This record gives sequence, C-alpha cells and structure tokens, in this order.
Amino acid sequence: MSNVDLEAKIPNNVGLRDNKRLTMALEKWQPKFLEWWQNIGPSDFNQHDIYLRTAIGVGQGGWAHFDYVKMPDYRWGIFLAEGPSDRKIHFGDNIGETCWQDVPGEHRNRLRRLIVTQGDTEPASVEQQRMLGHCCPSLYDLRSLFQVNVEEGRHLWAMVYLLQTHFGADGRDEAEALLERHSGDEDNPRILEAFNYPVDNWLDFFCFTAFMDRDGKYQLASLAESSFDPLARTTQFMLAEEAYHLQTGENGVGRIIKRTGELMAEGKDPKTVGAIPLEIIQRYVNFWFTGSMDLFGGEDSTNAAEAFATGLKGRYRESDGIYKDPKALNIGYKLEVPTDDGKVETKEIPLRRAMNSVLQDAYIADCTRIVSRWNRELKKLGIDQVIKLPNRKFNRNQGVCAGYKFNPEGEIIDEATWTKMHTTWLPTAADREYVTSCMVKVTEPGKFANYIAPPQKGPNDQPIDFEYVQFH
Amino acid sequence: MTNRLCYVCEGGDCTERGSGDLFDKLRDLVKEFDPGEERIKIRRYPCFGACEQGINVTLYPDRVFYSEVTEADLAEIASHIKGEGEPVARLTGKCEPDVEQIIWDMLDSPY
Repeated sequence: MSNVDLEAKIPNNVGLRDNKRLTMALEKWQPKFLEWWQNIGPSDFNQHDIYLRTAIGVGQGGWAHFDYVKMPDYRWGIFLAEGPSDRKIHFGDNIGETCWQDVPGEHRNRLRRLIVTQGDTEPASVEQQRMLGHCCPSLYDLRSLFQVNVEEGRHLWAMVYLLQTHFGADGRDEAEALLERHSGDEDNPRILEAFNYPVDNWLDFFCFTAFMDRDGKYQLASLAESSFDPLARTTQFMLAEEAYHLQTGENGVGRIIKRTGELMAEGKDPKTVGAIPLEIIQRYVNFWFTGSMDLFGGEDSTNAAEAFATGLKGRYRESDGIYKDPKALNIGYKLEVPTDDGKVETKEIPLRRAMNSVLQDAYIADCTRIVSRWNRELKKLGIDQVIKLPNRKFNRNQGVCAGYKFNPEGEIIDEATWTKMHTTWLPTAADREYVTSCMVKVTEPGKFANYIAPPQKGPNDQPIDFEYVQFH
Repeated sequence: MTNRLCYVCEGGDCTERGSGDLFDKLRDLVKEFDPGEERIKIRRYPCFGACEQGINVTLYPDRVFYSEVTEADLAEIASHIKGEGEPVARLTGKCEPDVEQIIWDMLDSPY
C-alpha cells in the first residue's frame, strides 16, 4: 500500500498520484459532491468555523486531528486500513484461497449491489438531518451533528472510490446516482425505506445515531471480513470513525433521559418545563430500534447464505477466529417464526441461511447494553421507571415477522388489539408535535436546552463551554 | 494458531486516550515472547461500550476485562499473558457487569 498523501486534491493512501485515470474520474465527481453538500447537506452553516476531527491517516493514535474548519473546506479523503497483501479468505467455501484485489466476474453484480446499498445510506443520513442545526440544544451538540455529517460524507467517498476503481462505467454511473437519489424524494428516494424518514428533531437524531448507525456498525463489520480485500480494508477504517457516531446517539438519548429523570426527582412534570417524558422517549426507542432491525434483511435468507458461502460477507469479528466452524456447515440456528394460526413456533434452519439473524443477535445484545446504561442513570436519580428494548418481533416490516402483529413483549396479537394499542407503543402525531415544541436553539457556549443534560466531557479533552462553533 | 484473544478498544473515547499507541506497545511487548501468535492474538476492537472507563483491554478465554489501562500497566499485562503472574486485579471490576457480558457472549458463540 502507498503512503498517505495529504497534499493531493483528494487526500488518500490509495496511490491516486500513480493512477491518472482514477484521479480524473474522482476529480470529476468531486465538484458534484460539493454541489450536493451545498444544496442538500447541512442547511445554512457552511460559512461558520466548526471544531472538527479530520482523518489524516490510518495509523492508530495519530489517525485524525482536530481544528476549526468550514464544512465545505473539509478534507474528505480516501483511506484504506493497512493489511497484508496476501490476506487469505477465512470463511465460507473458499477458505485458504488468496483474497481478491479485483472483483471476480461471478460476484460483480452482488458486490456492486452491496456497495451501492451501503453507499446510499451515507449521503441519505446527511440529507435527513440537514435542518437540525437550526434547533440545536447546544454548541457541543451542533458540533457533534456536523462531525457525524462530514464523516458520513467521507464514507460516501469511500464507497465511490470502490465503485469508480472496480466497476468501470457501471461504477461511475452508480457514483452519480448516489448524488441523484434524495431522502424522501417521491420520484427518486433513497434505497432503504428507513433512510427516507425525516430526522427533524434531536430525539430522532440521537435515536438514529444510537440505533441506525449501530446497525451500520454491524453491516460494516460484516463487510470488513470480505474476501474482496479493498472493500474489507475500506470498511475497517470506516468503523473507526463510526464509533463516534454511535457514542453521539447513545450519550445523546442518555442525556435526554437523565434530564427527564432529574426533573422527575425534583417532583416536576417534564412537560411543564420543556423536557421530554419517559413515555414519549420509550415510543421513539421502539420506533427506531424496530426500524433498524428491518435493515438487517430477512432472518431466513438464501441471499445471506450465498454472501457467506462466496466470501462476500462474514460474521461479526469472523477473522478473530471466534466461531467454531468457519464454514458454518452442519449446524442449525433456532428461529422463532409466526404461524397463520396465531402461534409462534421454533424452527431450525441451516446456519448459513441465518446469517442476518446471527448479526442481529450481536446487535440486540449491544442495544440491550445501552438501554441498561440509560436505566442505571435513572436508578441513580431514584427513578424506578425504566426504558425497555422491545422484542425483536415487534413492529417489523421485513423478515419472518413482517405482516404479523406483536406487542413490545413479543406476544402475537390480533389486528384489533394492534389498532387499539399501537399509539401507546409508537410515536403519535401529538408526541412529534410536543417533541418539536421542545426544540429550542441554544448557542451560548456551555449552555444547554432544558430537555438535555450536559455531556461529561468535550471532544479532544476540550471543556464543555468551549466554542465548538464560531459564528462569523 | 491459538484461540486466545486480547482486544484493545479503539472506540472514540479510548482512541482519544491513546489506545492506538497502547495497542502498538502491547503488541510489541507480546511479540518479544510470542512472535508467531502461538499464545495469543492481539487485535483492535471497535468499542466495548465501557467508554467512561477507557482505555479498555480484554483477554479471552481468561474473561479478564481491564479498564483505565495506561502504558504503565502494559508490562504486567504482558507478563500475565506470558503465564508469569496473575491478572492485574487493580484494573478489573471497573465497568458494569452487563457491559462485560456482551463481549463474553459474543466470544462464547455456539456457532
């Protein structure tokens, strides 16, 4: 692998200087990206100086630096994690063979679809969140939003690099299309439905980064195992940045819950002081957790089995050698499946077909942890009420439970019960209206809107009252 | 190759506290007596979720979850990995049990 070139028009460690054709293609795409950013990226904050982290390399420790930057001047770069040039395939049917540096013809369509689908989510989330800056609860949070946005932009660059490098004219067309589809656009929407919901308040934003970005972590981690080496190394580096996004969400929802708990401990009704009741937060958690579960695809999936068998997608941390059988043969997975007579039966399916479900298992464990962490904060404040993670079968539109009704405890219910109860489980129009009413803009350093507690510390060891965004 | 694993967290908080350098130094220390990864594999891990107690380092199947690890602790950790001593007790028990459990559940995978 070549060294990091930070002086190039597009910072990179992929040897762009030695590849004129690719450089030209990417430099042709760059102004279109910047135009997209100006038109559909964060609204109205492009002239301000934001204290941002920028990736400058792939080595640990010094992989990023912090400084003020105007977002359009952000140095979006292309970085692949380091790795051996002779990496071997470590799962599926082709174990022991050398990983692919180019796309094998027989996997071209499937790989392209995987990369395009992943790539489509990156600009989609920026579009979904574009108006949020106007109701930021603090300068600290405004900066967090923009940090997430610019890094999602860099992840788009990462996917476009793969498309432009390995998929010829098709890849160039797909790279263009990534900027042409828009979140919520009736004629040309984003590929995955969850990326067409508006994210127009900060409870939605924090739930999005806590749950949807966490789904992204697991999807990226499965691609980081890929036998297609450039994809594996690209996604490995993306994961390092993604950790901050997940923290933003986990801590953000946690801070909203903490503030509500503080007010409840003082005997105040959160609704009388512009804070968000736990019942409403619960409904938002239900909505976003279940939406993110749908992103994993079907729990019983021949596509997933093929992706594993052919070495395109592995299990979470597959390369660490933690699984008993790297071929995932001769073992079953127990899956709960609803039946038409209103029951749920346990069915054993071949493990390869359950790969999406195996990834969901790891995701659910992670989500269970963050909910426990939020509840510990409530307990510390003397509040007995808790936030609960809904059952994996609740409110599903994809997979084996799609088309069936379940309550948040995972019990199958009839349509009439759903109709009567679903407004107690999922956000209502009144909830959304109330949450929107709480969204006051606070931009004085160190101050926070009344619905959210301050964080414990600032990024890069900066104080909470640091001027994270300088308005000029 | 061994199935014993050491993970060093490279989540946002741990990275800011210097987990990258710490990973390199621990790997170099262990390489001195285990150059071929016969005793343990040392790997980076995206985030354990014990961010407030970082830098976090885990050992499996030892089921040791170290928190607030600094460079000053690495020689003792390496010594334990080598088999010359007990786990470094002062670095354990600092994070919530359910946070620890997630990583053990994943590593105990029945598949």
